[in-house]
Amino acid sequence: MDEQGMSNLEHRYRRLLKVLPKWYRQDREEEMVGIFLADRSDDLDLEHSWPGWGETGAILGLAVRTHLAAGAALTSVPARVMWRGEVVRALGMIGLLLGVFYAGAAITNLVVAYGNPEWAPPITWWRLLELGPVVAFAALLSGRRTLAKVAAFAPVVLVVATLAQSGGPVLLWSLFQLPGIVTFLCLCLGFHREAPTPPARRLLWWGGGALLLGMLGGFATGTGLLAIALITVILRVVAFARGDFVLGRAVSLFALLQLAPLAFLFVGGEVRVIVLPLAVLLVLCAVAPVRKPSARPRVS
Amino acid sequence: MSEQAFLVLTALAEEPLHGYAIVQAVEQLSEGRMVLRVGTLYGVLDRLVADGLAERDREEVHQGRLRRYYKLTDSGVRALQAEVARLSANVRAASAVLRGRGVQPWTSRA
Repeated sequence: MDEQGMSNLEHRYRRLLKVLPKWYRQDREEEMVGIFLADRSDDLDLEHSWPGWGETGAILGLAVRTHLAAGAALTSVPARVMWRGEVVRALGMIGLLLGVFYAGAAITNLVVAYGNPEWAPPITWWRLLELGPVVAFAALLSGRRTLAKVAAFAPVVLVVATLAQSGGPVLLWSLFQLPGIVTFLCLCLGFHREAPTPPARRLLWWGGGALLLGMLGGFATGTGLLAIALITVILRVVAFARGDFVLGRAVSLFALLQLAPLAFLFVGGEVRVIVLPLAVLLVLCAVAPVRKPSARPRVS
Repeated sequence: MSEQAFLVLTALAEEPLHGYAIVQAVEQLSEGRMVLRVGTLYGVLDRLVADGLAERDREEVHQGRLRRYYKLTDSGVRALQAEVARLSANVRAASAVLRGRGVQPWTSRA
């Protein structure tokens, strides 16, 4: 016990609760500590015990659901932090659309490989994993979140397996995959069980567009990064023009993430004439204001 | 409605309860199958309050610790009633099928 009469166990529980947002703790910390310590009066227990794994896991889950809260699931979320969850979900969705784009390119490559075996890499069953994002997209829109997350994980497995097989420079490859990995994490964390199902009708157009663009892009190898960066710039301008704060913030973060693969190409000394202007455009996307100065803030 | 939310609503239907009492009541109602962790309990309570099915009641200090009570709202009672009707209909349907196979729907607990 310290001078405030607080046991080690109470300190440990309070430390664990620090993963929750401050606004949530201010309201609930005392109440929660009361439940944690109810019926625990043994001095040895109070001095030497630690929060259990299950309890820790449940608090971490609550932390994700409150930090990335969906407005409808909680009455007490302050408006000033409500946008965070929306931006993370938008970023996860952008990442998934990026995956759908790559899946489109993979379909073209598979068709090309089938028609001209001598031109393309051999067709193996595990290349079907490249189509995972399409399954994930459909699953997310129909409310099957776990399936969506597992299917979205497929390309990550493929990348790791390819890396392990080739024995290439892991750090540089990780840089190249950074947008995919971060947006995958955003998808997993943002679409927690209290988050609303995304609007299917509107997003189907986006998904179809991404798949089609990817299929067309599949014919022109090497332009994927260029196409994605240009789409990012266009999206950013659209978000600004519409005063869409959430989309603007998400696209800004996505632009920042894309600087990592560009740095990879730059270090490799490849196509610097294209890489540099692209990098400048992406930096502008990242730092430009997300809404017109005159526009009334949607989130205050 | 999740089983957790159903059991919390059932616990609150009897009388307003504080967090720890809800945990105990749910464990008792589920005959020990469900032990709510604190993180899970507050996730369920937040959802019930946001949906207007439960609301905060009084606060007490017990042995130096804050206890906040929660109670069912009228919509909470109606939601519980609807869920009971839905589950009962399922149970009746399943019991009829089992009886048709010559099997007793209820097994006695050892």
